[in-house]
Amino acid sequence: MNRIGIIFAAEFLRRIRSRPFLIGTVLGTASIMLTAVLPLVLSGVPNGTTRVVLVGDRTLTAAVKALIADDYTTVDRLPHIDGRPTVEFLKAHHDAADVVILTRARDGLRAKVYARDPSSFGYAFGRDVGPLQVALATGLLVGDIKHHVIVPVSVRDAAGRFANVSSAKAAKGVAFLFIILLYVAILINAQVIMSSVAEEKTSRIAELLVATVDPAQLLTAKVLASGVTGLIQLLVWVLFGALSSKIVVALAPHADAITHPSTASAISISPGEIAAFFAFFVIGYAQYSVLYAAAASLITRTEDLGAVAGPVLIPVLTGFIVAEFAVAYPENPWIVACSQVPLLAPFVMFSRIATSDVPAWQIASSLTINLAAAVAFALLAGRVYRVGLLLYGRLPNLRQVVTALRS
Amino acid sequence: MRSLTLSHVARSFGDAVAVRDISLTVPAGATFGLLGPNGAGKTTTMRMILGILAPDRGEIAWNGAPIDAAARMRFGYLPEERGLYGKLRVRDQIAYFGRLHGLRRPHDLESAQRWIDELGLDAYARLPCGELSKGNQQKVQFACAVVHAPELVILDEPFSGLDPANADVILHALRGLHAGGTTLILSTHQMWQIEELCDTFCIIADGTVRTSGTLDELRASWPSRRIEVEPDVPALRRVLDELPELHPSPMRTGNGVPSALAYDLPAGADVSAILRRLVAAGSVTRFERIEPSLQEIYARTTGDAP
Repeated sequence: MNRIGIIFAAEFLRRIRSRPFLIGTVLGTASIMLTAVLPLVLSGVPNGTTRVVLVGDRTLTAAVKALIADDYTTVDRLPHIDGRPTVEFLKAHHDAADVVILTRARDGLRAKVYARDPSSFGYAFGRDVGPLQVALATGLLVGDIKHHVIVPVSVRDAAGRFANVSSAKAAKGVAFLFIILLYVAILINAQVIMSSVAEEKTSRIAELLVATVDPAQLLTAKVLASGVTGLIQLLVWVLFGALSSKIVVALAPHADAITHPSTASAISISPGEIAAFFAFFVIGYAQYSVLYAAAASLITRTEDLGAVAGPVLIPVLTGFIVAEFAVAYPENPWIVACSQVPLLAPFVMFSRIATSDVPAWQIASSLTINLAAAVAFALLAGRVYRVGLLLYGRLPNLRQVVTALRS
Repeated sequence: MRSLTLSHVARSFGDAVAVRDISLTVPAGATFGLLGPNGAGKTTTMRMILGILAPDRGEIAWNGAPIDAAARMRFGYLPEERGLYGKLRVRDQIAYFGRLHGLRRPHDLESAQRWIDELGLDAYARLPCGELSKGNQQKVQFACAVVHAPELVILDEPFSGLDPANADVILHALRGLHAGGTTLILSTHQMWQIEELCDTFCIIADGTVRTSGTLDELRASWPSRRIEVEPDVPALRRVLDELPELHPSPMRTGNGVPSALAYDLPAGADVSAILRRLVAAGSVTRFERIEPSLQEIYARTTGDAP
């Protein structure tokens, strides 16, 4: 066995037997299974609605109560209140969330809301009582108006990819979940490399290793070993996630995607998306792991790990955040551009693939650019790693690293 | 001829010159002491021999050929800064380094076990290295450096931090390697050990070789000797002070005793004539011509003399 193989085997066994790997695999699997099953469980639980107190004349509050019944629970109706309602007032009235004071104006209905959490009140109230506003203005019956204000809208996917709105929404949910998985997997495994390099550097074993093994071989073996264990962990997560989705489908065979988003999840992820997921994991991991290894090679004390980890954490977080936006706006020009940029693309391009129809040339160019970037990062990081392993003392600044690289 | 040769090797780090110009030859099977004060360039020289650092100029050859990866597989290295995988068990750790140096299974484990026995580590063989005392960890690291029966072993401060008993274990192991024909390069500040163990020495300072050779060669080329005379009485002191070629010696090492008169004199000086003059002046209970010790040669060569 050559030395890369020997180091790979040792690193692989160390990692696969390590407690963090086993705990991460088990907890990750449990979380994914729970995520798959939870919608089914929650679908059997009655929805809680916002509890409100309505203030105004009896006719008005009775009409409003009937109109908002789907979105709000009216816990009390009062003809008037003295002064401004307080939180204590809300607690005293069946622990209500909001007080809505209804008044008639010359041009219709007015509502003033005192909310415990103003951000959560939303637009549903205004939409629900809309027919009453029209009735007051026109003299028509609320019941007649209610039937005419809702226009039936049928949405179809132009690309024929999603059967309906719910399955498209479910795809975004799945994309969101997979982006989190991608982020966690890349970050965890790149940090494994980082801590492994830091251990060898701070324990001074690095010098012994590089006396025997070329630093490039050492780095290659480490990256491969952690990458393979990361892939194994991801496979376990995805397999158990898929299995859980199948179970959910089996348990709710007649459920459609509208009532059970989890069943939609089970059917809306294609083999191509799974392949893209693993491909972008490999590329993202290759890019980040070598940068993390290079950063870790510069430290002498474990306490310095935070100082070098910060700068390399920024692109991961940026990629994750941009990918979240990409779920909502996959065709935005900035998002399209980010899906080509190294370090961001592994997250953003996958996000676009999972939620829209990305032209094949864009996927191909992203793969090419990012594979080339991975090679470039490996060459650069390899040089830093080679020099960094023998740099001891204070954490070097960028200029000192460049000087060391030149010498 | 199997030997290690360095020809005009130099290495700098930015503006800092670590090794200015070093040329030396280590014969095959020799036990070679590389001496020098801190910052003299010893560790950089060792790292260049091992290929960890590339020289800026000059050549390093093993058996007449530049040192490549295959040659380095036959080298062993014990760096000054010790390091082990804390969670890896002793036997597995030693075997791992054996595999990295080309040992195949099961020879890696067999060889690891031999060194575990040799160094008295059997009770700890299944323990993670992190649980061992510092001395035992150093013995494990020593085993990692020699598990593959290397042709050349470079040891940087092999005795530092070891108690006398463990230092003896390492000393014994080194003698065994020497007897087996392994070439050893040692760097240490513990002179009595290196003087006892090494047959050839090289003293470097400021990145250059100041002197090198066997201890006899170093002594032969040394320009002065020391005489010690007892008792320390005015009559004898007056005789010695009157001789122009004699100077009171600053060294009180080796056989030096506080009650003796110690003087330096040129290596070729007529010691018998001095003795005759002393005997004529008074009663002499001890007169000794002392060869310079390695410590003395080292201290004066590097400008580290008291």
